[in-house]
Amino acid sequence: MTHTGDNSSTQISTPTATSSGFDVLRHQFQQIWQVLAALVLIYLVFFVLSEPFRSLDTLLSIFGQASILAILACGTTVVLISGGLDLSVGSIFAVVGVVVGIMLAEYQLPVPLAVVIGLLAGAGMGALNGTIQVLTKVPAFIVTLGGLTAYKGIAEILASGRDLSRFPDSFQMLGSGYMVPMGIMFAVALVTGLFLAKTQLGNHAYAIGGNEEVARLSGVNVRKSRIYYYMIGGALAATAAILEVSKLNFAMPARGQSYELFAIAAVVIGGTSLFGGRGGVGKTLIGMLIMQTIIVGLSYLGVGTSVQRIAIGIIIILAVYWDVWKRPAR
Amino acid sequence: MNGTQTILSARGLSKHYGGVVALDAVDLELRQGEVLAVVGDNGAGKSTLIKALTGAISKTAGRVEMDGEEVVINSPSDAKRAGIETVYQDLALVNELSITKNMFLGREIRRNDVFGRLFGALDFAKMDSEIRALFQKLDIRIADIYREAEAFSGGQRQAVALAKTVMFGKRIAILDEPTAALGVRESKMAMDLVRSLKDHGLSVIMITHNMQHVMNYCDRVMVLRLGRLAAVRDVKDVDGDTLVGLITGATEGRAA
Ligand SMILES: Nc1ncnc2c1ncn2[C@@H]1O[C@H](COP(=O)(O)OP(=O)(O)O)[C@@H](O)[C@H]1O
Ligand SMILES: [Mg+2]
Repeated sequence: MTHTGDNSSTQISTPTATSSGFDVLRHQFQQIWQVLAALVLIYLVFFVLSEPFRSLDTLLSIFGQASILAILACGTTVVLISGGLDLSVGSIFAVVGVVVGIMLAEYQLPVPLAVVIGLLAGAGMGALNGTIQVLTKVPAFIVTLGGLTAYKGIAEILASGRDLSRFPDSFQMLGSGYMVPMGIMFAVALVTGLFLAKTQLGNHAYAIGGNEEVARLSGVNVRKSRIYYYMIGGALAATAAILEVSKLNFAMPARGQSYELFAIAAVVIGGTSLFGGRGGVGKTLIGMLIMQTIIVGLSYLGVGTSVQRIAIGIIIILAVYWDVWKRPAR
Repeated sequence: MNGTQTILSARGLSKHYGGVVALDAVDLELRQGEVLAVVGDNGAGKSTLIKALTGAISKTAGRVEMDGEEVVINSPSDAKRAGIETVYQDLALVNELSITKNMFLGREIRRNDVFGRLFGALDFAKMDSEIRALFQKLDIRIADIYREAEAFSGGQRQAVALAKTVMFGKRIAILDEPTAALGVRESKMAMDLVRSLKDHGLSVIMITHNMQHVMNYCDRVMVLRLGRLAAVRDVKDVDGDTLVGLITGATEGRAA
């Protein structure tokens, strides 16, 4: 048990040297410590530079602002690990927000029922993306780019001429403050993480993203699995949308714009491979926190949103550069 | 060792890629308990033959029988259900997955509880221990079964792929160039595993470029040339030079 994580591959361990669950944990930690260290470092830089940044409130607000996007990004993580791509989740987010708004404001449905309808709508739109891809073999980029504009159009049609605001108190509780969304974020990340690490369908995401042909030849139902991953992506976009509608106390079709890009950015910054086969939601959470820390930190330093965007853009490119260059050549 | 009973027979297997005839009406017969070698030049159609046979690609024509009855094999899963386990050339393992996950890919063991039944939660402890037991039995010295497959050498990866056929192959193992790109010592290890497949009661089809392996490990040999069956011989009736002649076309063979 002397491996160091390099690619020297000639050593053969003896059968008596058994690995343990501890090795698995250590292995995961090895993969995550770099991004974790980056997060701490970035936080400390702003901590030193900005006096008002040094409060517990600021720390909480970073988590709070990260949480809605992080939930959406958990779904993006699953899709990217499986070698897919969904550019339409921002628009799914918009449709779900409007749908839930209509259910609550216009039809006065009970909150749990409206939430379930919203989740089903999100899952359905995700599943549709996946189904179109496996049936037509049109690349994910194109199908979901189509979804991005088509779903947006649907959201606009549904919302037009309607006042979607002033929801019941019990609904407003969901997204209010920082604590509830943060709790939901951790719960979603935990469940998604367990799904990826412990279940058959979750394991197949890594297999399909790693080598789709080997997975197919091994008897994995690649097409069906793919549809499920997009469905999960859609359902988590819906979860995020429901929280945001609750937080804002209104719904409008313009919400969710560019969220898919922020989610992909967080996934990549966290270290999940854009090429599929590797990654996890823990990394995505850290990636999202890195992004929010930079945004909050820069605004405390008086840097405007335009420059913040430039900074995030540079970091995305650096993260992908890192992903490409640390990939073993094989 | 040589049984005479036919376990698998294929008739008129063809595969066209547009205008390219990769495989042209090839017949194949595999007898119970034998190791059948498939030889031929690069591009002769060897991989296409076994892919068409095992449902990895759709065949243009041909039918397959097992034990004298027609079986429909249209997907890799169909082949596995029929007891045929295949190691495809360059497509044996997913680099990103651990040895355990590779070994059980597509046939994972689920936990025997509510999580397993409802959510497909996997029983990694059980899969790990089955692999350790198998590796011990086959003398495969890989302890780090949690490591990703890409961290291992070509010989180790091939050993894992062959162990997979031992674990799941019920009747037939098909191997596409199991010693390609392996060193001498690693090739020997791989061929010992092929022999243990035979000892486990499996009938084996093995594609190879190594005439020594044909002579030492196989019972019969079929020669493909330009997508057609050029000859089928008992190994004891041929020598290496004759085989090379049949492969290149310098010697004309009679099929069967
Ligand atoms: N997917 C494909 N599309 C077109 N032609 C192919 C394809 N796969 C194989 N071929 C052609 O079929 C022939 C046989 O290939 P193959 O079975 O891989 O040969 P071998 O395994 O004997 O080296 C070759 O001429 C090859 O170029
Ligand atoms: Mg070949």
